[in-house]
Amino acid sequence: MIIAQQKPIKDIAAMIEDCKKVLLVGCAGCVTVCLSGGEKETEVLASSLRIMRRLQGNPLETVTITATRQCDPEYIEPLENLVKDVDAIISLACGVGVQYLAERFHDKWVVPAQNTMFVGGSRTHGVWEERCGLCGDCILHRTGGICPIIRCSKSILNGPCGGSQYGKCEISKDVDCAWQLIYDRMKALGKLDKLMEIQPPKDWSKSRDGGPRKAIREDVMIG
Amino acid sequence: MVGGGIAGIQASLDLAESGYLVYLVESSPAIGGTMPMLDKTFPTNDCSMCILSPKLVECGRHLNIKTYTCADVVDIQGEAGNFTVTIRQRPRYVHVDKCKGCGECAEACPIDVPSEFDQGIGEHKAIYKPYAQAFPNAYVINKEHCIECGACEEACQAGAIDHSMEEEIIELNVGAVVLCPGFQKFDPSQLTYYGYGKFPNVLTSLEFERILSASGPFQGHLVRPYDNKEPRRIAWIQCVGSRNCRIDHGYCSSVCCMYAIKEAVIAKEHSKEPLETTIFYMDMRTYGKGFEKYYNRAKDELGVRFIRSRVYDITEVGDESKNLRIRYAEEDGTIREEEFDLVVLSVGLEPSPEIAELCQKVGLEVNKYGFAEPAPLTGVGTNKPGIFIAGAFSAPKDIPETVMQASAAAGASASLLAEARNTLVKEKEFPPEKDFSGEPPRIGVFVCHCGVNIGSVVNVPEVVEMARNLPNVVYAGEYLYACSQDSQASMKQIIEEYGLNRVVVASCSPRTHKPLFQETVREAGLNRALFEMANIRDQCSWVHMHEPDRATEKAKDLVKMVVAKAALLEPVSQIVAGVTKAALVIGGGVTGMTSALSLADLGYRVHLVEKEQQLGGVARRIRQGLKGEEVQPFLNDLVNKVLSHSNIEVHLGAEVQTTAGYVGNFVTTLTNGKELQHGVTIIATGGEEYKPAEYLYGESERVFTQLELEEALDKGDPRIENGKTFVLIQCVGSREPERPYCSRVCCGKSVKLALKLKEKNPSASVFVLYRDIRTYGFLEDYYQEARRKGVIFIRYTPENKPRVENENGALKVTVTDHVLGVPVVISADVIGLAAAIVPSSSNRKLSQLFKVPLNEDGFFLEAHMKLRPVDFTSEGIFMAGLAHGPKNLEENIAQAKAAAGRASTVLGKDHLESHGMVAVVQQDKCAACLTCVRLCPYNAPRIRNYAAEIEPLLCQGCGTCAGECPNKAITLQGYKDHMQMSMSKALFEEV
Repeated sequence: MIIAQQKPIKDIAAMIEDCKKVLLVGCAGCVTVCLSGGEKETEVLASSLRIMRRLQGNPLETVTITATRQCDPEYIEPLENLVKDVDAIISLACGVGVQYLAERFHDKWVVPAQNTMFVGGSRTHGVWEERCGLCGDCILHRTGGICPIIRCSKSILNGPCGGSQYGKCEISKDVDCAWQLIYDRMKALGKLDKLMEIQPPKDWSKSRDGGPRKAIREDVMIG
Repeated sequence: MVGGGIAGIQASLDLAESGYLVYLVESSPAIGGTMPMLDKTFPTNDCSMCILSPKLVECGRHLNIKTYTCADVVDIQGEAGNFTVTIRQRPRYVHVDKCKGCGECAEACPIDVPSEFDQGIGEHKAIYKPYAQAFPNAYVINKEHCIECGACEEACQAGAIDHSMEEEIIELNVGAVVLCPGFQKFDPSQLTYYGYGKFPNVLTSLEFERILSASGPFQGHLVRPYDNKEPRRIAWIQCVGSRNCRIDHGYCSSVCCMYAIKEAVIAKEHSKEPLETTIFYMDMRTYGKGFEKYYNRAKDELGVRFIRSRVYDITEVGDESKNLRIRYAEEDGTIREEEFDLVVLSVGLEPSPEIAELCQKVGLEVNKYGFAEPAPLTGVGTNKPGIFIAGAFSAPKDIPETVMQASAAAGASASLLAEARNTLVKEKEFPPEKDFSGEPPRIGVFVCHCGVNIGSVVNVPEVVEMARNLPNVVYAGEYLYACSQDSQASMKQIIEEYGLNRVVVASCSPRTHKPLFQETVREAGLNRALFEMANIRDQCSWVHMHEPDRATEKAKDLVKMVVAKAALLEPVSQIVAGVTKAALVIGGGVTGMTSALSLADLGYRVHLVEKEQQLGGVARRIRQGLKGEEVQPFLNDLVNKVLSHSNIEVHLGAEVQTTAGYVGNFVTTLTNGKELQHGVTIIATGGEEYKPAEYLYGESERVFTQLELEEALDKGDPRIENGKTFVLIQCVGSREPERPYCSRVCCGKSVKLALKLKEKNPSASVFVLYRDIRTYGFLEDYYQEARRKGVIFIRYTPENKPRVENENGALKVTVTDHVLGVPVVISADVIGLAAAIVPSSSNRKLSQLFKVPLNEDGFFLEAHMKLRPVDFTSEGIFMAGLAHGPKNLEENIAQAKAAAGRASTVLGKDHLESHGMVAVVQQDKCAACLTCVRLCPYNAPRIRNYAAEIEPLLCQGCGTCAGECPNKAITLQGYKDHMQMSMSKALFEEV
């Protein structure tokens, strides 16, 4: 899932300084699961903003709603009635949701309440870890199910480098060396020979280097 | 049930819930025993009163527990299944049914009496209630001090006081008796060298407990009673009245080491100034579950100082401070002197003298110290069939073991009286509930004066008047005591007359009184969720007693809020499910078999699953119990009973493959493909002996583990027969960083083995190398005996462990003698290693299958370390034996019976009811994020079909999931957002 973390409330408040009435839109997708933008967080943020503004002598009116997902037009369409008389929209979705709202309601001031961090999973309740670099050309079958693109600080394809010490990466003792993990796992699987194959430079054009990407499935397209 | 402490309360509740009528006889004016006097409890530092109080309420309210207080059992005649018990009930001078506990009588009483509950440090009036949460919630007159002035009678508006009450003799016919009279604390004034009673700053540990307690004479403020000054240096002296043969108290009191550490830790917390705490001890006996960790933390992190020295003398320094001087010898013999502001004597436990008379009359055997030790390998049995024992009367023991033994005694009583189950119990019946759907709210408000408890501060008529004008309120009235029987009857009548469909009572604490009022509204045909309470006593008249006007305003606010919520209340239906009257017991050792047999005797079907091809477990390797019991005949007999019992199906060579369902309705498949339906599960997977990597184990064939040594001894192994020098090394694999717990049984076992070796060959040299000798309870006698018979005990430290070397085939042990401080070399023929007890390798898998937790050491973690020692937080699953932690055979048997006793409270019911106020998932909003699944302490939520589902029978209504659900898909019945919002709206309406 996409992991996002809420911005500090004073940053959010600064973005809507001039507004008298705002719509806060939560998202029941990834950000609900990573506990940062579901209905609960949306309502908590709304009341926090109201309290803050009231204390400043400049009361704010809020409307809240949580969309099933903000990354599908059908789910944001029903927001139209709510959007009409507000001065701004605060999205608690990831960057996709913010943009979808801005595109749909192009005459409204749409602001992000979150910093979209990474694609990852939950290690335990309250701890999320990055696991995918979205490179567009997956090589996990060659690296024992451990991604060197995102888990190696240098994203090197033929590791480890000289900065690997006692299983840790030189950038921090809290970061495992991905290549050590890859080595250990391949060894356990009896596939160390696979690591002897030299990986050629990666085709980064399938990643961000090729500019914004689009995925098209003609077989499922309508009409 | 003879004795109303925690043992009596637990055993009563277990039996009453299993379908038996219980008489609970307590000699003091209130049930509760010693627990209410304690401040915190080890090793969790839970508040003692907070964890006990729900049990007091439950016990007090139970329809099938009849409590007699101020009552002594004077005779028991008859036989198992048919006893006549004679009770002498002393006059209380207050009618329990009329007294509402308001306390006006005590206000009026002119006589001050030292409070027994506060250990004489504080005072109460001649008419008093022992402690605030006491059940019965009624006062009692101490006639010895009463001057019969009549002030209390005048003050009592309930007419409860009766100075003419007389002693009554009551005869009860019962099938089984459980003796759980508890203990009395050792009186240290007989040990004149400690100066107790002479020096004001020498206190007993129980007195210190009252000083620490928030409900104590100093409200938890740590001061010396002598001058109200805060102490800066406190010393604890261990073994006062324990391990002392000169005064016939040779036994170890088992609990003092832990309570002293706890008192030191809590004292440091309470003290505003830095506080030095020092504990003088002989052996640190922190052998229970989680105790060693507590000790290590106190020592290494919290700065409690431990000095190994027996103090023989305390003197006063001789100035006004009345501080105390302790002279003690350090380990190397250096004499030191230190000054302390306060000395606490860790007094031991002894049987109360009152019970001795009864025992003699009944012919119940007690040991030389007056304790009624259980009959061999029964855990709770006595020499009199049908009379069981539980708690500190059987041996000094702490709360969890007391609770365990109480549940075991309940289980044993239940098995004995299986035929009579459900013949005497009553069940409350209610009229069908009226349907108010679609009707507007019609709220009735009843405000209570609580005598003058509320009424003298809060202006009750004003509150009533205000309530009358609130929206939806159609009736508002007041009662002198809302909880009295006539008020209840009147309330029902008013509900009828005014067609009320919501009821609000403004009175005292919902904790104690909500169930009572809910019952009343149910009797009037209302769903119990249509009732709400405002606590205008604790929150108004008590805390604001000097500001009556503001207290009245606050009472009005609270009533306004609750009325606003009441208008939104909805009936909540309870889920009812049947119970499969069968048990699954996992583990065919002594523990599992004992549990299985207890339940089978109760008439329930039992599936006993054992992964090996034969029953018996580790006990097959044990020859004798710690008290010399012959284990093999006992074991064979047990196996035969299990195999021949028509209610037990034994599944050998099988393990659990999958399991599903919840309390009352589990379905489990075994590795042999069998599918079992069961209502409860008992996990009794046992433990294993650690295979040592140290002391040449496995390298020399003359290095044994304890179990191997025992087997070799029994078989007459020539290595043992011809041995002249034996060295037994303690703590092998226990109390080490990788296994920080104490294995508990090894000290006792080594002492027994040493004695056995000496018995075989008196001229043999037997050495025991130890860190602390932990022969708790009566095992201390064997330790004394071993020393008397010439077994040599040498203490070593973890920093300087013994060294074992093989010099040309000869075993050489080098250990530094703790007195001489020089290395001693022993040429050993045989070495016995007290190897740790390690958790069963199957624990981890079972923990995942049943979704029940393990602790850090790999043993199963109980629901509550003090009061629910065999329960898991998941209802319907229990544990016993080594699966729970290291224990000896006797203790495992008691725990096995306890687990069966607890399980029978589930199996004894024909259907289980959810308590109603459960959490409900709105599934279309659920993101299946797992938050509820991960956070629920009771394992109630599951994800099914991509959304969460909460099993109402498991949900305890705590609301954690509702609060944490990131998409607000979960609501807790009776606590919905709009209800809470309406309350704040009502509160701030005029602002």
